[in-house]
Amino acid sequence: MRWQIGIDIGGTFTDVIAMQPATGLLRTAKVSSRTDDPLAALLNALDAVDVPWTEVQDLMHGTTMVTNAIVENNLSKVALVATEGFGDTVAIGRQNRRYLYRLDLPAKADPTVHESLRFEVRERMDHKGQVLVEMSEQSVTELVEAIRTAGADSIAVSLLHSYANGSHEKQLGEQLKTITANVSLSHQVSPEAREYERTNTTVLNAGVMPMVRDYLDRLEEAKPSDSQLHLFHSAGGMASPSALRDQPLGLAMSGPAAGVTAASRVAAELKLDHALSFDMGGTTTDTCLITNGHAEIRSDRSLAEHPIRQPMVAVDAIGAGGGSIAWMDTGTLRVGPKSAGAFPGPACYGRGGTEATVSDANLVLGYLDHSQPLGGFLQLDRDAAVQALLPLANAMVISVEAVAHGILRVATANMVRALRKVTVERGVDGRHCALIAYGGAGPMHAVEVSRAFGISKIVVPASSSMFSALGCVSASMSYSRQQTVRMASGQWNTEQLSTTRDSLISQLSAPIIEAGHDDKPLTIKEVAGVRYSGQSYAVEIQNPALDDPQALGLAFREVHEQLYGFSTDEPWELATLRTTVSLPRTEHLTNADQDRDAAPAKPHSSNLCYFDGQSVMTPRYSRDELVTNQTISGPAIVEDESSTIVIIPKSTLTVDPSGHLVIDIAEDK
Amino acid sequence: MSAVDPVTLEVIRNALSAIAEEMTGVVMRSARSPLLREAGDLSSALTDADGNLISQGRDIPMHMGVMSFTVKEFLKRIPKEQLQPGDVWFLNLPEVGGNHLPDVKAIRPIFVNDEILAFSVSLAHWADTGGAVPGSYVPFATDAWMEGLRISPLRVFTAQGTDREKLEMILSNVRSSDEREGDIMAQMAATRSADLRFQELCEEHSAEVVTNAIIALHNRAEAQMRAALKELPDGVYKGEDFLDDDGSPGCQPIAIRVTVKVSGDAATFDFSASDDAAIGPINTTPFIAGASVFYVVKALLGPDIQPNGGCYRPLTVITRPGSVLEPPLSSPVVGGNHETSQRIADAVFLALESAVPDQLTAGGPTTSGLLLFGGEREDGAWTTLYETHGGGEGARAHRDGASVIRVHMSNVMNTPAEVIEAEYPLRVETQRLREGSGGKGAHQGGEGLHREYRILTDKLSLTTMFERRVIPPYGLKGGENGAPFSVHIQKADGESFEMPGKANRWLKRNDLVIVDTCGGGGYGEAE
Repeated sequence: MRWQIGIDIGGTFTDVIAMQPATGLLRTAKVSSRTDDPLAALLNALDAVDVPWTEVQDLMHGTTMVTNAIVENNLSKVALVATEGFGDTVAIGRQNRRYLYRLDLPAKADPTVHESLRFEVRERMDHKGQVLVEMSEQSVTELVEAIRTAGADSIAVSLLHSYANGSHEKQLGEQLKTITANVSLSHQVSPEAREYERTNTTVLNAGVMPMVRDYLDRLEEAKPSDSQLHLFHSAGGMASPSALRDQPLGLAMSGPAAGVTAASRVAAELKLDHALSFDMGGTTTDTCLITNGHAEIRSDRSLAEHPIRQPMVAVDAIGAGGGSIAWMDTGTLRVGPKSAGAFPGPACYGRGGTEATVSDANLVLGYLDHSQPLGGFLQLDRDAAVQALLPLANAMVISVEAVAHGILRVATANMVRALRKVTVERGVDGRHCALIAYGGAGPMHAVEVSRAFGISKIVVPASSSMFSALGCVSASMSYSRQQTVRMASGQWNTEQLSTTRDSLISQLSAPIIEAGHDDKPLTIKEVAGVRYSGQSYAVEIQNPALDDPQALGLAFREVHEQLYGFSTDEPWELATLRTTVSLPRTEHLTNADQDRDAAPAKPHSSNLCYFDGQSVMTPRYSRDELVTNQTISGPAIVEDESSTIVIIPKSTLTVDPSGHLVIDIAEDK
Repeated sequence: MSAVDPVTLEVIRNALSAIAEEMTGVVMRSARSPLLREAGDLSSALTDADGNLISQGRDIPMHMGVMSFTVKEFLKRIPKEQLQPGDVWFLNLPEVGGNHLPDVKAIRPIFVNDEILAFSVSLAHWADTGGAVPGSYVPFATDAWMEGLRISPLRVFTAQGTDREKLEMILSNVRSSDEREGDIMAQMAATRSADLRFQELCEEHSAEVVTNAIIALHNRAEAQMRAALKELPDGVYKGEDFLDDDGSPGCQPIAIRVTVKVSGDAATFDFSASDDAAIGPINTTPFIAGASVFYVVKALLGPDIQPNGGCYRPLTVITRPGSVLEPPLSSPVVGGNHETSQRIADAVFLALESAVPDQLTAGGPTTSGLLLFGGEREDGAWTTLYETHGGGEGARAHRDGASVIRVHMSNVMNTPAEVIEAEYPLRVETQRLREGSGGKGAHQGGEGLHREYRILTDKLSLTTMFERRVIPPYGLKGGENGAPFSVHIQKADGESFEMPGKANRWLKRNDLVIVDTCGGGGYGEAE
């Protein structure tokens, strides 16, 4: 009886879900993360669900290792090779400054490669991939010697227009491997035009390569030979360790991507046209637009101010979380952007925090339970929360409960403003979206945020408190890459295009076939980026008719009209092609443990909670006692081991057959 | 008026900002031209019924002045009684709360219960507004009419729909009219979304509460600004800086002079001693002077003060009619928007040097470094590359200046070499830091940029609009000046010459344009 295991190693907690498909058994656990030794955290997680590694068929694993290395600027020493005349591109960047009004702070981040490690080679391509200046063997030999002398742990190669012709980069790569095996070539990491973004992406890939390769080596060594290992990548799928050895930057958004992928599956299962994922943590809230069960994937996102030109789930972080601090600012009550973080954390955690936070407000209003330890181990201190809120109450001359309510209203207003921006920028009316809430604090605020935004349907999915781990265990193995093409509608070359397509497909299929899945049919998905000649933004066309430019042009004009309200018959071009190759998974996630004939759960206790300034005796339920089709009318609180769902008055919760909690908000305007 | 509680005030403040942010989103998503959709050269704002700024969608310091004055000036010409629900008025006259012709504003009155409670304003930089050259930057313009189409307040949309006659009048006077029509529609749509959202806000909180909240927010920003000004020692401070020239033959440097009087929690900025209006297009408007003053005060004293009508109250900005900052209405102004605005900021910074010790940044690339390449592509299409060039930031008391960056009034990005080569008949031969251009000092000025463009077509028009060529970025406290900005042309036939800062030339195949942007000034004496 072999197991499928999903493990999400976060900054604080490691979540694990174990599934045994043959029996339908499902086990979950939460253990502390160990940033110094991720492998130890992984072994702890397996222990916690009592599954020995030898009984694991597939272990699927998300990690914040790469994210943290980039955010904390903990990167290896990288040497960069650029086309002669372009070595400074990483220092020039896009010439814009970070802060409009902060003269005191550094206007630009330091270049990712120091001047002494920037090398140039004489060669030149044009944008069509034609060689303008050959690269001589002698110049390559000299370059290799110069880098060997300078010393580097990892090497990034980014030559001008290599997305159109990577031959010079390949040639260089062969020679540079005599210095170190850690070589990243830009046309393989990010085959897209825009030299600064491609170069920086390649440098980051090189910067995390030694660390990731080392970790993968240790994992491979530790794992039993007949157990398969997969890692979760930023675009929402599984990748094999061997593929990640060359593309370690693919893990940049591993953790959030896993959660968003699980949310997409829930959206697909419930047939939600538009949904917003809503993952609220201690300092930020992550959100992503999901359309027809597919999370938005983009190749123009940034992490810690670094542009990363690789396909990633388009998660937006809102600067508001449970630890956000409330303060008076010239007559207004503000919440954030300062956060009490994980340490000292909110005042109610009793670890020395004294400032009022969103979590303290939740405790004062009775939503959080101070009689039960949070997550099973953290006893909340209501008095400390009240003390933290008192100065604000005195300043505003209102009660502590009224301040708490005010803090939540303001935090909600911040989030609504951010959600509106995220949706309007994509041409979607956010009020027609469903909210899929998960993570520690997401379900607690989901109803209030939805009411303020005008959303009427909320889903708190099954296993919401370890949703990223669930995303891991339920994802399919997939690889994707975006390539610059630039083919004008008037100069269509089907043959050239099919060479590009075949090459992308074979590169992306290789790791799946290598992992032993050569017998199963692979799913190939293509997305074309099409634009009018002279435009800079491309419109995405799903499943484009690449053999038929007339049909593609028609589809393009239709989508353009839909998005922008107009279209014309002007010439257009295929700017980019994004290809995803995946191995479909068929298993459904259902909890076989559920007793369908059980009587509806009764509340285990009740306490006074405050809603809109009124105190109401509010029943509390345990989530694991709820049964299918049970409905609960607000006000009520539903708790599981690590999150609390607040059901405000006039809203109704229903348990669906898959264990998802669906909350409907009555229109009361 | 009854007081609005601190929570409701913050909730409404967020909602008002969200309305303006949504306007920006609407324009960027639906506008036609890349200048709006990619570079985002646009601004959105809500004002109260009297035209005082309530909130804005995105901070472009240069557009601040416009947003704060446009509706007020508009109302002086078009009284409220003439306005109807559903109206959208377009205008670009510099003297009507404006800056230069390419920045076109769309204004919509927002009626709640038959009364105007607010206006939404969408400002967009049109890639062309007619005039003598494509892109409407005419370096040799000597009067306002050479610069392109002048739109006095014009009601282009009403509740009944589009007034085609007026729209056609505009479109027949600008290049690439399809693109312009798309931009106009986008601006109209943005003002409409603000209207809807403002109505919703009033339904939720009542019009009275929203109106009271707006008054409270103005008062709050005023209080923040007064508190910030109190930090400045009382006194009279003088500063000056010079524009290189206005592009006309034999033009000498043009002085921008300011006398700042700080008294308690208020300050006056008097620019009367600045030079007379120029012949060429570096004149600007009092509104831009206001924008520049506000930028400096905010950057020095209160980066977090929310820009709205209230924070202007303690500031008085005086310009002299007939001067370069309040020229005759017949004067050309296109370059003043991003060149003279920067020089005004420099002069105010320098004036305040002794009042805010150790807080000043040495001189930097206070110029757009603008080069406009207009040429024919291989496929016969005519394209214009509008490229700004950053330079070295000035050093500060505690750090070196950054290399190749935009400072103060603007923050527009560069165009990557790989995009330029694919889209325009140009090859970028090199782009590197201009080593040694930063002024030496205890802290070093940032390095400028060295970029070379090879012309790959038979005939190409080059327009320049940049500064700091003659008068370099200044060092502070004994730090050296940065190297000045220069553009050289190396002709294919061997001839070479330096390009003036405001000029237009025709270039040929294989000519080389060599750009060396200015370095930043150093801070403190070098060891």
